[in-house]
Amino acid sequence: MELFYIFIGAVFVNNFVLVRFLGICPFMGVSKQTETALGMGLATTFVMVVSAALTWLLQWFVLEPFGLPFLQTPVFILSIASMVQLVEMFLNKTSPGLHRALGIYLPLITTNCAVLGFSLIAVQGAYSFIQSIIFGLGAGVGFTLALMLLAGIREEMQFADVPEPLKGIGIAFVIAGLLSLAFSGFSGLV
Amino acid sequence: MGGLMKEFFKGLWNDNPTFRLQIGLCPVLAVTSSALNGLGMGLATTFVLICSSVLISLLKNVIPSKVRIPCYIIVIATFSTIVDLVMHAFLPDLHRVLGIFIPLIVVNCILMGRAEAFASKNSVVSSALDGLGMGLGFTWALTLIGAIREILGSGSIFNHKFVADTAATFGFFSLPPGAFVTVGILIAGMNIISARLRKAS
Amino acid sequence: MNESVRMIVVLTVIAMVSGGLLAWVNDWTGAIISENQLQAMMASIQEVLPTATRVEILSSSPSTLVEEDPDQAREVEQATTEMFIGFDDNDRPVGYAFVGEGPGYGGAVRVLVGVDGASGKILGISIVSHAETPGLGSRIEEESFRSQFVGKTLNDPIALGRDIDALTGATVSSRAVVQAVRTGFEDASIAYERSR
Repeated sequence: MELFYIFIGAVFVNNFVLVRFLGICPFMGVSKQTETALGMGLATTFVMVVSAALTWLLQWFVLEPFGLPFLQTPVFILSIASMVQLVEMFLNKTSPGLHRALGIYLPLITTNCAVLGFSLIAVQGAYSFIQSIIFGLGAGVGFTLALMLLAGIREEMQFADVPEPLKGIGIAFVIAGLLSLAFSGFSGLV
Repeated sequence: MGGLMKEFFKGLWNDNPTFRLQIGLCPVLAVTSSALNGLGMGLATTFVLICSSVLISLLKNVIPSKVRIPCYIIVIATFSTIVDLVMHAFLPDLHRVLGIFIPLIVVNCILMGRAEAFASKNSVVSSALDGLGMGLGFTWALTLIGAIREILGSGSIFNHKFVADTAATFGFFSLPPGAFVTVGILIAGMNIISARLRKAS
Repeated sequence: MNESVRMIVVLTVIAMVSGGLLAWVNDWTGAIISENQLQAMMASIQEVLPTATRVEILSSSPSTLVEEDPDQAREVEQATTEMFIGFDDNDRPVGYAFVGEGPGYGGAVRVLVGVDGASGKILGISIVSHAETPGLGSRIEEESFRSQFVGKTLNDPIALGRDIDALTGATVSSRAVVQAVRTGFEDASIAYERSR
């Protein structure tokens, strides 16, 4: 039951993009079409779950026992970057189809602050191993959901008469604001 | 000399990271609930930006191109952690408000972007000026957004309250949705000003 | 030099310099950070336990708690890892303070609660840390909200809508404070009685 709360909390209540403001760059950059948004979302979810496991092990078996928590940022970001690289090579070798679908998004994910931000939050929350992974899954699903919602609306916006200065990123921010307002209705749910 | 000044000024307006390039947006939304927070975040980022630009420019001939990205990551992560620790020691209140967005400077696209696109190809002096310009461009954007949200949302500016304690304020602007809408409208405003400037020249 | 050797050497040197530099900065700031935290905590304790002139950290000697029932004692010890006892000039205990935690809108809200030893009444509360929305949830720091808790004892309900009014538009944050005050209150009072 607690795992369910963690999941729902990460998807809706503390949505990584709309409430915590993590991963805004891909949120604005890759949300013009629902298809690419879905690819980016799935790739990010995958990386989040894997890095949830990786950073949990690093934190509690390397950094804490050796008294090195101050090295957290460099260690986490380097491990996530290397891990993403490895996953890309692995996908390229084993399943070219999946690589074609997700491959181009993988390098972008390294600088997606949602992944590192998630790792730092998970460590602060002192979650167990399983809880961390569920939290990562929820964070990724929440990211995908926000991305898909914005992309769906932006696709429709092409036919709308948007004032010239607001065109493009400006109106996207205003839409994101309304989405965020809708998500704030979830506060206090968990 | 004119060329060097250009490296400095481009970050302030034409290539402003927040309003023009639209990179490094997470802290722009997350820590701008007050002008002071925006200013603090901007200056912290500027410090990391200048230090890493200078160092990467110094090392540009030493670092083999195949491992340049990991090297940049280590350099930037080191300076972000230094800022994190120093701020925790000397500005604990600000550190508490900015929270994980200080270590997250490392994944701010501005940092990697400037390292890869500028500092790795240019001299130390112009890299430092580029970093300073970009950093200050980021800082004024964050401070402006913070000031607008603070005035409307809390009825204060730089923590000086100018309305009565009981007065109703637009709490919307303190909340996450207000951050998105403020930035969206500011970007539209910048587009109008830039279009006017283009027409005038 | 062979290219791959050079790559390894450069990366290793950069990583080592980085690690060394950070270790040095960490040493230098670490002492200041913990000193600051202690100072801030002591100032808050002074605020919620005004009659105390000297403060002792209870959890530093958990052995004093372990008595009759070892299971229960461990529970008490865990719940009150952050508990302080205040003494007056004559070294008589005047009351205690403990840190409670409740889930707020933006994360945990940590509240320091000062309690008078003789009457069991709350003397005052102070918000240790929170990540609530500025201008809305952050109003839990305001005196008018915090003073509602003064004078409450373990026999009072200490519940929203009963004896505590929630802040308008910040129910989640208000509930977090109420919960923080309640968590550990009972355990802390038991631990205090035992420590005397």
